[in-house]
Amino acid sequence: MKQWFAAGLLVLAVGYTLYGLSSLTLLTASGRPAAGFFPLMVGLLLIVLCSINLWGDVREWWSERPSSSAPATGGTVSALGVDLPAGEAGTGYSRDALIVFLYISGFVAIMNIAGALLAMIVFMLAFLFTFNRTQVIGNMIYSLVLPGFLYGLFRLLLNASLPTGPLGF
Amino acid sequence: MLADIVSNLSLGLSIAASPQGFLFLVIGAFLGMVVGLFPGFGPAAGIAVLIPMTFGLEPTIAIIMLAGIYYGSMYGGTITSILINTPGESATVASTIDGYPLAKKGRAGPALVMQAIASFIGGTIGVILITALAPSLADFAASFGPSEYFLIIAVGLLMLTTLMGDNKFKGLISALIGFAIGTVGVDVMSGQQRFTFGSPELIGGVYFVAVAIGLFGIGELLHCIFTGQHRQPAKRLRIGFRDKEFWPSKQDYYESRFTFWRGSAIGFVAGVLPGSGATLGSIIGYSVEKKIAKDPEKFGKGEMRGLVAPEAANNAASAGAMVPLISLGIPGSGATAVLLGAFLMWGLQPGPLLIVNDPGFVWGLIASMYLGNMILIAMSIFAIPLFVRFLDIPYVNVVPVIVLLCVIGAFAINASIIETWILVVSGAIGFAMKKYGYSPAATVLALVLGSMAEETFLQTYIISQGTMSLFWERPVSLILSIILLMILLVPVALAVIKRGRRDDETSQGQTP
Repeated sequence: MKQWFAAGLLVLAVGYTLYGLSSLTLLTASGRPAAGFFPLMVGLLLIVLCSINLWGDVREWWSERPSSSAPATGGTVSALGVDLPAGEAGTGYSRDALIVFLYISGFVAIMNIAGALLAMIVFMLAFLFTFNRTQVIGNMIYSLVLPGFLYGLFRLLLNASLPTGPLGF
Repeated sequence: MLADIVSNLSLGLSIAASPQGFLFLVIGAFLGMVVGLFPGFGPAAGIAVLIPMTFGLEPTIAIIMLAGIYYGSMYGGTITSILINTPGESATVASTIDGYPLAKKGRAGPALVMQAIASFIGGTIGVILITALAPSLADFAASFGPSEYFLIIAVGLLMLTTLMGDNKFKGLISALIGFAIGTVGVDVMSGQQRFTFGSPELIGGVYFVAVAIGLFGIGELLHCIFTGQHRQPAKRLRIGFRDKEFWPSKQDYYESRFTFWRGSAIGFVAGVLPGSGATLGSIIGYSVEKKIAKDPEKFGKGEMRGLVAPEAANNAASAGAMVPLISLGIPGSGATAVLLGAFLMWGLQPGPLLIVNDPGFVWGLIASMYLGNMILIAMSIFAIPLFVRFLDIPYVNVVPVIVLLCVIGAFAINASIIETWILVVSGAIGFAMKKYGYSPAATVLALVLGSMAEETFLQTYIISQGTMSLFWERPVSLILSIILLMILLVPVALAVIKRGRRDDETSQGQTP
């Protein structure tokens, strides 16, 4: 995945530079640097460094590729004191991280429709009943108390503007 | 000069010691210790996430609270280093080397007390040096032109990426990403819109708070989940300060009497240098202490000096990092970059003129750091049983608190759903950056300093009529240019020499 992330950065760097070149003025009529000058410098440097970086990551990936004839080996990796089976080395709890990211995205997506308070409660319920299933009552209370406290803090005490849903909160 | 300092500090104390100032200082210090306790959630993330909670406060009080979170996290981060061998944040990594072995020997209590004393001495010496140096540096910096400012930013970013990162290329790319994000919005010099794609919400640029909360808050959180922290059971630890074994022995104090000062001096210098900061300060502090010790073999096996040195150093460094921030307006780390962003959010422009234009703010902040260190040493010793109880909370219950604070906080700043989505995207990018060895701190630093870097670079270009001669014609610029070249070239030269030696050894080995 590392090389894909590096490749993505290179694509973005090329896109940034090309879009800057096509939409921005590089020099004024008097020959002074204009709005596109600095972005062009940044973009070109990014392209050079991202290319070298991608080359390094691809070479690393290539040299670390397991050969098809090599037997599977056992072992563990340590991640903050947690021993993972060798098969999960490098992937860690990627599925959990992806689920949390999707929950966060869902939370933001429904916030404007359902209102901040309801969205917070839904997020908490979804998260806790995915990762902490044994504590049913505790999860329910926590999912109501924490969003209620934070809503009160931001809305009433700090007078911050939060999205309101059809129920008015 | 001393009379000036005394009168300025009295002004600062009248603000920091006011009922409101003191209350929010205590809250900030407490939150800082809690932030420090949770591994993977450092001061930068803590400040970024809690910025929205300072809405409705006076700017000075808000910054006093946020600064309290910043240096409070240095105290809190060591508790987990000592008790569970897991540093709360990178600046306390060196403290685990001897801190945890001390706990394993049954000396957790003395280790916690000595780290609190070391942190207090380091922090207080750091603040005394800020008091003495910040006004002088601000006076000196008043003569700086655009070339000096651009070079300081470049040196800071290069030092951050070359000294702290695992991979220099990735560090530099991270910084350039920050500059690229910083170019979104209206160009300050020509007024032309850049990379806004016609969106009115992007005309003002990408708001740094959403990016910082995303990179540091959500990104760190996803990384902690990736490493399985949410699957670990809570640590059940109990420590009581009434126990006789809780307090350090006379020998502990005697052996560490010079270590406190050495660590503080090293840490402060590391903190003042842009880009190095508390992590490097604590590592150098530990290494120097081990190097000059008559019994270096004891280090790593539960030696009190091995804990005191990095602790004094990281707290002095966190204070030292405030010097360039206040006097030049240039932060040297991710956490101080977020603090700078908070300054700007409150309409305060750090730099040489800040001390002249807003002495109440600057001296209020400095005075609050004296008080903050006193509050923190009391908290660190007498509230240790309470903070240890925080470790009872399973991480799975901490995750929703962080997510809700991040999302609601990012939205509440400008009531903008686009900024909230920027937070989500930055969170995913922050996770990938952390996982693949990039530097989110460099990105935030470059984003915060992007417009200043562009403006000063273009001014230098225009004044020197495209020759950039200002970089070597002015004495301070020349020195900074030489430092910049050394940062770039020395690692390359060392790598070439190393490779040459390796080749020589290989060819000698092959010769029959």
